[in-house]
Amino acid sequence: MAVADKSQPRGSGRWRIFAGIGPIVLWQTVFFAIPVGMLSVYSFWRMVNYRLDYSFTLYNYVQILENPLLFKALLLSLQIAFAVTITSAILAYPIAYFIAKKAGRFRTLMLIMVIVPFWTSLILRAYAWKLLLGERGFINAGLVEVGLIEQPLSFLLYSPFATALGLIYSFLPFFILPLYTSIDKVQDSWLEAAVDLGASPIRAFFEVTFPLCVPGLIVGAVFTFIFAIGDYIIPQMLGGGKNLLISQAIVFEFETSQNWPGGAALAILLLAIVLSMLLMLLRWVKLEDVV
Amino acid sequence: MLPPTQSSKAAPRNSDRPELASWFGSFYSVLVFIFFYAPIVVIILFAFSDRAIPGLPLGNFTLKWFAEAIGDPSLMESLWLSTWVAFVTAILACSIGLPAAMVLAWRGFRGKTLVFALILSPIIIPQMVTGISLLLLFRQAPQLMGSIGIIIAHTTLTLCFAVMIFYSRLLGFRKSYIEAAMDLGASELRVFFEIILPLTMPAIVAVVLLVFTESFGEFIVAWFVSGFNETLPIAIWTSLRFMLSPKINAIATIILLVTMTLSVAAQLWMLRQMRKTGDMER
Repeated sequence: MAVADKSQPRGSGRWRIFAGIGPIVLWQTVFFAIPVGMLSVYSFWRMVNYRLDYSFTLYNYVQILENPLLFKALLLSLQIAFAVTITSAILAYPIAYFIAKKAGRFRTLMLIMVIVPFWTSLILRAYAWKLLLGERGFINAGLVEVGLIEQPLSFLLYSPFATALGLIYSFLPFFILPLYTSIDKVQDSWLEAAVDLGASPIRAFFEVTFPLCVPGLIVGAVFTFIFAIGDYIIPQMLGGGKNLLISQAIVFEFETSQNWPGGAALAILLLAIVLSMLLMLLRWVKLEDVV
Repeated sequence: MLPPTQSSKAAPRNSDRPELASWFGSFYSVLVFIFFYAPIVVIILFAFSDRAIPGLPLGNFTLKWFAEAIGDPSLMESLWLSTWVAFVTAILACSIGLPAAMVLAWRGFRGKTLVFALILSPIIIPQMVTGISLLLLFRQAPQLMGSIGIIIAHTTLTLCFAVMIFYSRLLGFRKSYIEAAMDLGASELRVFFEIILPLTMPAIVAVVLLVFTESFGEFIVAWFVSGFNETLPIAIWTSLRFMLSPKINAIATIILLVTMTLSVAAQLWMLRQMRKTGDMER
């Protein structure tokens, strides 16, 4: 057990560091780093006649580019993730701003209310949207009842639209919270100074508040993108089987075709996309700006 | 967790436009919260409706789906499995995470960045990638598939949250308390149990609740490594594939209400503790 700093120079210091940090390093190495390493090794093998061929090949990666089904899945995943990220930014900004600057005594309550839904199981929230969007679901039934439409809208469920909606719903809190943190750091006195110097409130917003919350915007965007492109539950439950996304293609390869190397290559590609987003994030913002 | 509030706001300066802006802001916020909560409310409504196929109009009030859910042995078995798996995961995440956070917060050593990267990367990497990676590992050790596999997987996924929460709590900790106790002759064990543990208690409660709910509701990774064991999310997933049963609404309602209560309680408690110990720490 590592305790006080005071005893650092003593010889037992190193042993304590090891005792504290050893278990977690061992755990994450055995159950995380090594498995992900195995995954990348698998992606360079190949299934031949239902048996693994252990010679090095780029076949699976070439397949992603050449197999139209896989390539389409990759493209659609990127499109949906981008659309979800941009829409979430637009939806998240006003409420983050409101909570940080205008909510007054309701601020804590509102923050809690933003956080609560994403403690609940993703699978249940996806299921709830299925109830809402289905042909006999709440929204269609309501619209028919009011007389706005005669036939239920069929594009509401089992479509890229439904997937995008579900993803926005699931990951919006991840966008609101970093934005809130960065907007909250903008002091009112800075805005007052700008206004005192003759800026209109709108100009003060665009030249003071907005530039200062760009780090929060980037962090929110990167996380939303990463979570949106990696999710499986929402596209599978709400998107239906027609337009596969990359996550669904991975499961398909593993569970249905039993083509593990093929699935592994897709997963490594997904990982590469996510890591490159993260590297971009780390180049653009210092994490201390937002945490 | 709640981000810390930086500054308490002075009363807004009054003119007509800010009034309109905050009116619009309130209206918009209400819309967002409707968006957040409407799906949850719909599940709860359907759970009490006597219609066999969820739809409108709602039909009459009934509790029979709750009775059916509780009377379904396989559903109850998965509920029990999910509960104890989540419980063991929470204990593991705390007992591996707290010592690690103590070292990370209080000690400098070579390779710290690397250790941080190793601990935090499961947050970033899509859960499904972690899931299939573990599947490949367990293929070499098939006896680990099943409940043990799920516990391993969930601990791997949640350790990063545990370490982060402990770490930020321990950073704001006054080391002079520990030094004082040591100077007065307390043993390290005593310092740990009488000073460190009580002061980290809010973080421990937060970690236990967060890890428990995360593990309890997690589907995709558990699905890959579960073998023939069904946790509750897996059972729900399977039953949604075949037949939409109102039983699912009933069990979902119970879970939603319990999770949301836990979440609110955890956050309020953390806030109160932070206020209470706030002046002691700095």
